[in-house]
Parts: sequence; structure tokens; C-alpha cells
Amino acid sequence: MRTPLLASAIFAASVPFLLAQGVDSPTTVNLGGGSAWRGNVPNGPVPRLPDGTVSLEGVWQGGGPSANLQQGLPKGETVPMLPWAKARMAAMKPADATEANCLPATTPRVPSTYPWRLVQYPTHTKATHIFMLFEANIHSFRQIFMDGRKHPPADELDPSWYGHSIGSWDGDTLVVDSVGFNDRGTLDGAGAPQTTKKHVIERWTRKDLGHMVNEITIDDPGAYSKPFTLTFEATLRVGDEMMEYICNENNQYGIAGGKK
Amino acid sequence: MKAQIRFLAVGLALACSATVGAHHGFAGEYDINKPVQVTGVVSKVEWTNPHARFYVDVKDAKGKVTTWNFELASVNSLRRNGWTQTSLKIGDTITAKGYAALASKTMANANGVTLADGTSLFAASSAPSVQQTPSR
Repeated sequence: MRTPLLASAIFAASVPFLLAQGVDSPTTVNLGGGSAWRGNVPNGPVPRLPDGTVSLEGVWQGGGPSANLQQGLPKGETVPMLPWAKARMAAMKPADATEANCLPATTPRVPSTYPWRLVQYPTHTKATHIFMLFEANIHSFRQIFMDGRKHPPADELDPSWYGHSIGSWDGDTLVVDSVGFNDRGTLDGAGAPQTTKKHVIERWTRKDLGHMVNEITIDDPGAYSKPFTLTFEATLRVGDEMMEYICNENNQYGIAGGKK
Repeated sequence: MKAQIRFLAVGLALACSATVGAHHGFAGEYDINKPVQVTGVVSKVEWTNPHARFYVDVKDAKGKVTTWNFELASVNSLRRNGWTQTSLKIGDTITAKGYAALASKTMANANGVTLADGTSLFAASSAPSVQQTPSR
């Protein structure tokens, strides 16, 4: 247990040196939340799996909205939220936040400061599934079907937190199409609402070993007047591993604030 | 060796002082305008998620003991900021600083702990002063 700690400490001390050597800054824009990881982000070539498919595997930080959707919009643009959605968001109390109650976020959110791992399965031939494993908050996963299936018919699509996701490749870009959401999830920590009409298209492109851009189009006519596109970047957390995070273990949220 | 590690851990934690996360907002639970500071003996440590906690028995002038419940960041954030489950131990005499709870007189969000030997441990709290991006 001691060695990784020492290694981390030594690494932290060496960051200025690494910066001087031209290694990427550990902090990047559009992380989709605070950065809990200060390791350097590598710039090597995009890795590939044995079948030639680009490998998106790794332990990542960011890549989607977390605290505030606005962070992913081009400068000067605002989220085209319908009046009722604005009013609901304004009326939201901290106690309503899904994360505080150990409930999941929703697609395309990523954890604010915790890492997540992308897994392509299998790797020796064309992947039939891609999994996004979230350390927090909460411990959960997204499942993306890569076997060519379609979304189920609407009456068989149960409303869910992460939705039903099907993926395909557009060159080296992974395109993930998701529908079938509940109306309980919020698109960011500030409480941007969603409805069961939400349709999300994510376009994940690994630019190099350490950087993966996610261009996200959200179309939810129930809560937004028109589709909008967000851009976030995930960065590789070299040397980090997923840890256990059981949110219900000791969640005292609400006691200090007088809500329990 | 242990002292050296603690020193390094503290250094690392300070270097990362704006990076910790929380699973809920600070404002709904704690008052940034009500700093608290207590000195006492650690009676319990909960090395748990979504927040680690430590409990401090604080004796007043008349000898009456009050147990304070201090909230830290998650175990995961603490570990990545250099803490271990033995950074604070039952029986340690400490001075804890933090922000008072809105609705409890004996709860607080920790933002700094000083051990009896003078070692400071950054608390990796969710207080806005030490968090880059508020998150819930």
C-alpha cells in the first residue's frame, strides 16, 4: 500500500519538471467537473486492437457533462431549455440532487471527479459490447450494444437511467445512439431536466493515447426547444485504477442540513 | 518511514488542494460563514463512502464531553490525496477545523486536522474554498 502512495507523492513533486519537458499539462479544459487526478496525460499514438479497431480502452477522467451542461457549449451559446424545465431547475433543492441520494447520473454525464473505465468486449475480434464502468457516483455501468441490433420498439423500451445504447463505427469514431430514458435523471449537477423523449448521440474520437473527444448531441423536445451539441474531452488517468465506492455504505446526507 | 510518508502525503494533498470531489453540494448542509475549531480525542473513524468521517470527543471547562461528527471527502478522494485509513487513529489528540452544519450543533465539514505532534492533514472536504467545481 505504501509504494503507490510514495510513487504518487514523488510524481506530484516531479510535475514541474515534466511540464518543463513538454509533457501535457495535467489539467485540461472541459473535464466535465473538477479534476481529482494530477497525473500527466500522455500524447502517444492511438492504440488499436488486434482486429484493427481503434482501442478506446483505459481509465478516463471527464468526457461528458458533470457540474454544468454549459461547460460543453461553444462560447456565447446557452442551453435552449423550455420555460417549465427552467422553472423546475430553479426550484430544485440540494436535497433533490440524484447523486446526494446515491442515485445514478444519466447519459451522457460522467462522474465529477472519479474515473471511469471503458471496456471493449471481446478484444481479439470485433467487439459485440462496450461497457463504461463508473467508479462513482454511483458504482454502475453503461452497456453499449455493438452487434448491429436496433433499439427495441417503444412499448418494449423500459424507462431507465442510462437508456438503451447501440454503437457503431464511423471510421475511427465510435457513435453511440441512446434512447429509453426515465424523467428522473438530470443532465448535470445543477439539475438540468430530461424527459422520456430524450435522444442522445455521442461521437467518441480518441485523438491520441491520452485524449478522447466526445461530441454529444442531445435532442429532448420535452425539455429543450431544439437539439444542442456539447463537446467534452476525456483524459487518460495513467496509473490509476478503479476503486470501490458504495454510496449507500454511510450516506448521512441530509442530517447536517436538517433534511433527515 | 511512517513520518516521512505522512509528510509526503500532506505535501501531495496540499498540492491537490483544489481537486477533491463530493457527492453533494456543500451549501445545503454546511455554513461557510460559521467556521468551527475543536480540540479533542478521536473516538471513532469511519473509513467509508460516500464520505469518511471522524468523531472527536471534546471536553468543555466543566468536564462535559461532546462528540463531534466531522465529514471528510470520500475514501476514494482521500486515498488519491494521500490519506490512508490510519492517517487518523482512535485515541489521537487532534485539533479539527471546519464549517458548522446548518442543522446540527455537533456536526461539521472538516477542512483541516492538526495532530498532537503538529502534523497537518488536509481534509479534502467539499467546502467551496477547497473545491474547484461544486458538485452534488
